[in-house]
Amino acid sequence: MAAPMKICRFRSCAIYSRIKSKPKHSHLYKHCRHNSTQENWKGVIGLEIHAQINTKSKLFSASSTAFGAPTNTQVSIFDAALPGTLPVLNGECVRAGVKTAIALNSKINKVSKFDRKHYFYADLPQGYQITQQRQPLAVGGEVEYILIDQNNRYVTKTARITQLQLEQDSGRSLHDEEGRQSLIDLNRAGIGLMEIVTEPDFENGIDCSSFVREVQLMMRQLQVCLGSFREGALRVDANISVHKPSEPLGVRSEVKNLGSLKDLRNAVDFEIKRQKSVLKNGGTVINETRTFDSESGKTIPMRDKERLQDYRFMPEPNLPPLYLYDNSTAAQSRDQNTTNIDEEIQNMPPLPRDVRNKLINDYNLSLRNVYVLVNEDKGVTFFNEVMKYSNSPPNFIANFIVNDLLGVFNANDIKIRNSPISPDILAEIVDIKESGYSTVAYCSQLVELYLKQDITERPKTVVDNNGWRQIVDTETLKPVCVKILKENPKLVKKYFKGKEDKALSSLLMKALNETQMKGHPVLMKKIFTELLEEEKQK
Amino acid sequence: MLSLTLREAISKLKDGSLSAAELCEKCVTRAKRVQELNFIVTENFSQSQKEAVHSARLWSEYVSGRHNEWRKFGGIPFAIKDNFCTKDIRTTCASHILNNYVPPYTATVVQKLQDAGGVIIGKTNMDEFAMGAGSTDSIFGPVRNPWNYKFAQSGREHDKINDWHIAGGSSGGSAVAVATGASFGAFGSDTGGSTRNPAAYCGVVGFKSTYGRLSRHGLIPLVNSLDVPGIFAKSVDDASLLFNAVAGHDTRDSTTVTDSMDTFTLPDDISVKHLHIGIPKEYHAPGMSPCVLEAWRRAADLFDRVGAKVSEVSLPHTQFSIICYSVLCCAEVASNMSRYDGIEYGHRAKNEDSTEELYAATRHEGFNDVVRGRILAGNFFLLKRNYDNFFLKAQKVRRLIAEDFRQVFGGGVDILLTPTTLTEAPTYSWFTEVDNRTRAEEQDVFTQPINLAGVPAITVPASLSQSGLPIGLQFIGPNFHDKEVLTVAKWFEQQTNFKRLDLSHLDKS
Amino acid sequence: MLQRRLTYSVKFYIKRCFSSKVPEKPTWVTIDRSKLPKEPKVDREVVDLLERLSLVEFNNQEGVDRLTKAVHSANLLHAVNTDNVEPMDSVLEDRILYLRDDVVTDGNCLKDVMRNATKTLEDYYVAPPGNIPLKQKERDYGNKT
Repeated sequence: MAAPMKICRFRSCAIYSRIKSKPKHSHLYKHCRHNSTQENWKGVIGLEIHAQINTKSKLFSASSTAFGAPTNTQVSIFDAALPGTLPVLNGECVRAGVKTAIALNSKINKVSKFDRKHYFYADLPQGYQITQQRQPLAVGGEVEYILIDQNNRYVTKTARITQLQLEQDSGRSLHDEEGRQSLIDLNRAGIGLMEIVTEPDFENGIDCSSFVREVQLMMRQLQVCLGSFREGALRVDANISVHKPSEPLGVRSEVKNLGSLKDLRNAVDFEIKRQKSVLKNGGTVINETRTFDSESGKTIPMRDKERLQDYRFMPEPNLPPLYLYDNSTAAQSRDQNTTNIDEEIQNMPPLPRDVRNKLINDYNLSLRNVYVLVNEDKGVTFFNEVMKYSNSPPNFIANFIVNDLLGVFNANDIKIRNSPISPDILAEIVDIKESGYSTVAYCSQLVELYLKQDITERPKTVVDNNGWRQIVDTETLKPVCVKILKENPKLVKKYFKGKEDKALSSLLMKALNETQMKGHPVLMKKIFTELLEEEKQK
Repeated sequence: MLSLTLREAISKLKDGSLSAAELCEKCVTRAKRVQELNFIVTENFSQSQKEAVHSARLWSEYVSGRHNEWRKFGGIPFAIKDNFCTKDIRTTCASHILNNYVPPYTATVVQKLQDAGGVIIGKTNMDEFAMGAGSTDSIFGPVRNPWNYKFAQSGREHDKINDWHIAGGSSGGSAVAVATGASFGAFGSDTGGSTRNPAAYCGVVGFKSTYGRLSRHGLIPLVNSLDVPGIFAKSVDDASLLFNAVAGHDTRDSTTVTDSMDTFTLPDDISVKHLHIGIPKEYHAPGMSPCVLEAWRRAADLFDRVGAKVSEVSLPHTQFSIICYSVLCCAEVASNMSRYDGIEYGHRAKNEDSTEELYAATRHEGFNDVVRGRILAGNFFLLKRNYDNFFLKAQKVRRLIAEDFRQVFGGGVDILLTPTTLTEAPTYSWFTEVDNRTRAEEQDVFTQPINLAGVPAITVPASLSQSGLPIGLQFIGPNFHDKEVLTVAKWFEQQTNFKRLDLSHLDKS
Repeated sequence: MLQRRLTYSVKFYIKRCFSSKVPEKPTWVTIDRSKLPKEPKVDREVVDLLERLSLVEFNNQEGVDRLTKAVHSANLLHAVNTDNVEPMDSVLEDRILYLRDDVVTDGNCLKDVMRNATKTLEDYYVAPPGNIPLKQKERDYGNKT
């Protein structure tokens, strides 16, 4: 007997349709993008997030960190690695690290140390990076985040943190292909980075990007990292391997410098696929460093020959250990720049998960709505503002913003934080929809109208002026329904034959057309049903 | 005039009996006269003389009462080792790789000296990147010790066959600058004895203060956790003057201590009766020459005679100190040298095929064998597979060595008295028979444990050997007891009355 | 010979001194190398690895010998018992690390940092291509001014 045909569970999947129509196309299943989750091989990914710390000056020197300055103008003699220069630690960077560690639920090391990591690269003038390998600022921790799983469900997941450390950023190199040279700009060299290393708790691309998004939101909230991926303020390295769950972990490859959430997702998924096919064909995965090419969507090796790298970590002799204090030891510190952990804990603003939980507790919003609102910059603020002016139930408002408003915004490349529609106007539109003053369709049109045109009138006035009022009067609707029924005996017959839903849909369509889309669909459906049932009795 | 100490010169400048311009001119003349000793790499004669003339004007205003303030070292020439960055003056570390490097900033201690009126007469010769104990491995050639040196008659070429004595290292040039009278003080660096060793060989005072007292900002490092700017002077008083002028917390150097330091002047009337002097038995190492042993003995007996408590103590890990030092030194060197790639500064090779090719060629052309050898050894010790067995092990031994000192000082000993070197200054031919690494291991044997522990130490000329070469003795104190160390050293200096080298006969020839 | 002559005359002096606290003979002990752990070998693989990591060549057998000697010497450290001893990074380990205010007081010294560079192009440092992925890619994160 032939093996059961594997088929994707997503009916909208194109591969599904092809296989369904012609079983001989079942070999195409391997190309189905939902396939990866059906196989035995499991992806195992650990991440390293590098986030530029939002301070005015660099980690070990007092040059500026501002983005976009002229070449090499934000470079001090220390940043250029001139001999004889020494690092001096920026107290504000330490505070940022501590705040982030608290948000990650990590254990903060009261004493942490700095190390040198040696390798040669043109944008690393000292020939080593000052980082924290042996005793970082914080260890352990976990982050709760929301993930849209393969069934399009919003679920909560937790990932564990290995450690958080402070380290230097490198300079930038621009490759001049024609002149066969690299041009080096050290403005970025020495800017403080927080490196967040995670345990290998992730399974696929969306898992990774959801997590990183949560961390990004968290850091924005804490004001420790405000930069975007586009500015290079946030970078992710992924360590990816595959294995069968019962077997030990596979050899991993590292994909470096992923510069966007999309790249992260695609790179991880591609790499999992690549490694799987290598293993399936009997090959072995090499432990190597790769980079991702967004255009082709592939990861490619960074070095043409695999070579061992030994960073020869060594304690940084120019920086004595970093001591952090809490309320019990604060008296020992004489420097005004030292960080008191307990004070920072007290001053922590609400984190994304706290905001989400509050929204759920206070207003019983759905997880999906809460996720989207928090994910959008100033989304929650906007929601709260609209809540002030609106009379509709909170979840209704949230649904409107998430489903109706954001869809339109995204299509027009507008962000909620720059919403051209003010909260009070939107509140009125929401109420109009909720009360049925206008139809669903016309409400969407209202939104588009306010977006694209400069309207001074209130929404209700616009509805009235354009004649977009929904007809909710049964007395007005009944004759229309009767008329439609009379004109469509076939559909009536269909109804009596048992195909009620289909018949009603068609009848409703016709009735809507008849009322220029202003008839209240639910009401009209009810009227139709009543009329038809009456007829049935006869 | 050049036989004056710094203290004496200052007092003469203050009372108007000495002209700063004349003083500087005399120093420059002396420097030129003894240049065959090869102790200056980059001379700054005309600039220093210009500044001295300006200082002379300021002094005359002070002396005449027109102006109240005076700059401590107004116009007095000092020599600076060529691993201190000096703005707009070439700083080479005696290496090809920095042969044309002109720093855009000045080292903190040098700046403080200049702010107090001191003028830089020149940058002095050294072992390349301070790696060595003889000042013999420099791209500019070795430094010669002025003691027992047959100076060429003026106008004649010096006799190259002459076998002269080394000046010690790695700060040989600075030691010679002070010994010959060409400057009134000098800065060197001391990582494993690089100040005290040449000071002993050249018969001058060499002071290494507590690690963390003097700023290293601008001192091109050899081993960051051991380096200390070293002070050369004609007398202990001078050393104290210089130390007090440049010590203190520097916000640009995180390894300077934030404790405030009270400046001090050493008393002239000193009693050592209440002191407990320790004689560490392990400092009688194999290879010590009889004259050094004799000088050590005589000094110990001297303290004994005046009523101080003198006892034998033990620093049990001394024997391993030099090995520990070598491992840590090589590892840090490998790390510190990784910045020399020719991109931002320094020598740059012609090979532009790839970054790695360029770096390798630049470093090959720029570094000498000694430096390259230490880089390779250092990276070997830092490899993941060797880290625990060598680097970490050396760090643990370092703690034991530091503990040795702590325990001895904690047990009531105030000052330790030891020889500075195994022998008198050896000849150049003897010294170069064996490689740099072996020699450094021998030469630094009494000086590098002090760097590992961070404690202050000073070498004071004690006597002359049979051949007439100076022998120095070392006084070591607990951390941050610089004043106490200097005080005892001054007392000893007063007792020994060592006759400094007098080259005034050269002025006539 | 000179040493011997010195010793004769100095011995005479020594007898005249007080009984001294300074030990008469060297006090160092000879270490039994057989008790030490085996030294790691400096073989071809290690030589290649070190040359690549240091970007410095051994040059010749002399260089390799020098390293072997250094390792041989360093191995003596194992004669010291370091059980329960913490490694020491710095003598200032119990000192408080000085922290700087977050104020911009440095940088903006283009001339200073460029003046010693042999090769520059429009305010950029110039390096040869290297350590780049097989496919050339411009790693430009922002607007190039």
